[in-house]
Amino acid sequence: MSTSEPGVIAILGLDSFVGHELALRLAERSPAIRTVGLDVRRPYMLDERVRFHPVDLTDPRADASLAEILAQERVEAVLHAAFRTDPTPDLELDHELDTIGSLHVMNACAAAKVHRLVVASSTMLYGPHPDNPNYLSEEHPLRGHPDAHSVRDRIEMERLLGDWRIGHPDVEVSVLRACWPIGPTVANRVVQYFSLPVVPLPIGYDPLLQLVHEQDLLDAFERALLTSRPGVWNVVGSGVLPLSVLFRLARKRTIPLPSALLDRLSYYPSQGQTGDPPAAFFDYLRYLWVADGQRGWDAFGEPVYSTKEAWISFVSSRRMRRYR
Amino acid sequence: MSVGDSQLRPLAGDDPARVAARVALAELRREIRGRFARAPVAARRTALPEDWERRFESLRERLGTLGMRERSGAVDEFGMDAESLSALRPLLDFLFDRYWRVAVGGIEALPERGPFLFVANAAGILPYDALMIAHAVERARGERPRFAVADWLITLPFVSPRLARLGGVRACPENALRLLAAGHSVAVFPEGAKGAAKTYRDRYRLARFGRGGVVRLAIERGVPVVPIGVVGAEEAHPILFKASAPARAFGLPFVPVTPTFPWLGPLGALPLPAQWVLRFGEPISYADLGRDAARDALLVSRLTEELRARIQSLVDAGLRARESVWSLAPGNS
Repeated sequence: MSTSEPGVIAILGLDSFVGHELALRLAERSPAIRTVGLDVRRPYMLDERVRFHPVDLTDPRADASLAEILAQERVEAVLHAAFRTDPTPDLELDHELDTIGSLHVMNACAAAKVHRLVVASSTMLYGPHPDNPNYLSEEHPLRGHPDAHSVRDRIEMERLLGDWRIGHPDVEVSVLRACWPIGPTVANRVVQYFSLPVVPLPIGYDPLLQLVHEQDLLDAFERALLTSRPGVWNVVGSGVLPLSVLFRLARKRTIPLPSALLDRLSYYPSQGQTGDPPAAFFDYLRYLWVADGQRGWDAFGEPVYSTKEAWISFVSSRRMRRYR
Repeated sequence: MSVGDSQLRPLAGDDPARVAARVALAELRREIRGRFARAPVAARRTALPEDWERRFESLRERLGTLGMRERSGAVDEFGMDAESLSALRPLLDFLFDRYWRVAVGGIEALPERGPFLFVANAAGILPYDALMIAHAVERARGERPRFAVADWLITLPFVSPRLARLGGVRACPENALRLLAAGHSVAVFPEGAKGAAKTYRDRYRLARFGRGGVVRLAIERGVPVVPIGVVGAEEAHPILFKASAPARAFGLPFVPVTPTFPWLGPLGALPLPAQWVLRFGEPISYADLGRDAARDALLVSRLTEELRARIQSLVDAGLRARESVWSLAPGNS
């Protein structure tokens, strides 16, 4: 196993938030690191220090073409962030990318003799369940949500990865399960929801939520890529806040609706946007799914932002709160 | 133009158009400042109180968050919120002192240093017993124990977030371990759902104690167990029988039928003002057994049964201390 910094790093999913930001960070960090970016399309803005190769992970022969690129570039470490940021109504394509695409990545890494594989995962995989303990450790079974197809796909991905790891003990595999990232620049469905002018939410539930600041998330990924941290880690901000307090801090107006009404009203918008019934999202605002971050903090360093500070940084960047 | 001209002298070689723009900008800025300049204080006298703006804002905010009026932004890592607790303290005081007239015995015998694992008989639909135990311990010792909440209560909207703000966590070993490790005492009710679902006929007869998790936890953490007999909670909601047909319709484990519920509607959900007795037993320490004893299933099961018997005897003593459901026997206070 190599303990020194890898010379060549490949980033799969260059156009994702984590991929894009990390490519910039690595390029800034030192000229000794060469960054290879891979994605299905050439990103609109591409740093000239990053070498780009197009790869379509939904292609059945993606494993061979990816292995060829990895071997040709002599890649030592791979960041796999080529997942759907948000679920889409095309359930089959999502599955092809998130699950089968990851299988291609694993096989290509094995063929190209990559030393280190860092995979972006999510604490959403634990799933919101009323019978969750207050803090979920990394060993807790991944139960997901029965309606959330994207979560289901990624649970299957982690299962495949677990099996694959046993067969390839010479590859250091780090899985970083991050909670909802938030901050001035990150954009996804959750951030969109939080930015709504008036936020609908299920009435009578006020679960504790945890958030991770985007910079803390990127710090963790950077450390996972540059140093040896094999294993599964929760990457979360410190502290928790009830959902109601988040909105109060943002001075946001909310419409609490009874669950049955909320699910009925948002059924078609939700199906159209994500391909899932609304419970697949709103259950994450009903029940606990807070992860225990202690091990991750020991491995990657204490987060700079707590959940509250991360939220404030998001709120103030969007100028949600009216200061006088 | 005349005002700006005197202040902004054009530099040699400056583009005349840019100079003109700069002058116009300076003038615009001055005009805006003039328009927003504050009038002298005396001229702004109004009939409204001085902080009306702030008051109005806070009223609007309160209306806006009517469905989830938890007061403060600071919760601890288990969701307990000191401010919403202190807001509810008058109500808890009233229930403790006036409504149920809780008679507490044996709490002074507890050692100085915690944490403890309080183990009590469970009764009633809502965890009033947990709240009263927490209240009694907080009054006597200054520190508030957390309490375990049964699974099916955790799924109830409105109730479950409120309980979390008051120090409730879901009853599971992970939570209890974490709380004890953080130095908090925890009150647990090993009868679980069987206790809550007891009918009036079976009152104060303790059901089976789970699967020995409590004793195992105490051995593993080296925490003393304090048995508590709670009397009164089982009459607060006397369940005559359990209706299963409406329960199936609503997806609940059972629908309790009490003398007042559901006949009086939501009013029937109010607990009855029975006389309460809380008897704290002597702490039981499992420290001399060693931590490996937790894996001895037969030993754990025997100790669990002994613990159940201790609590049963405390409950019986508490029942003897009462003259009737509504009052204490003379000489007991």
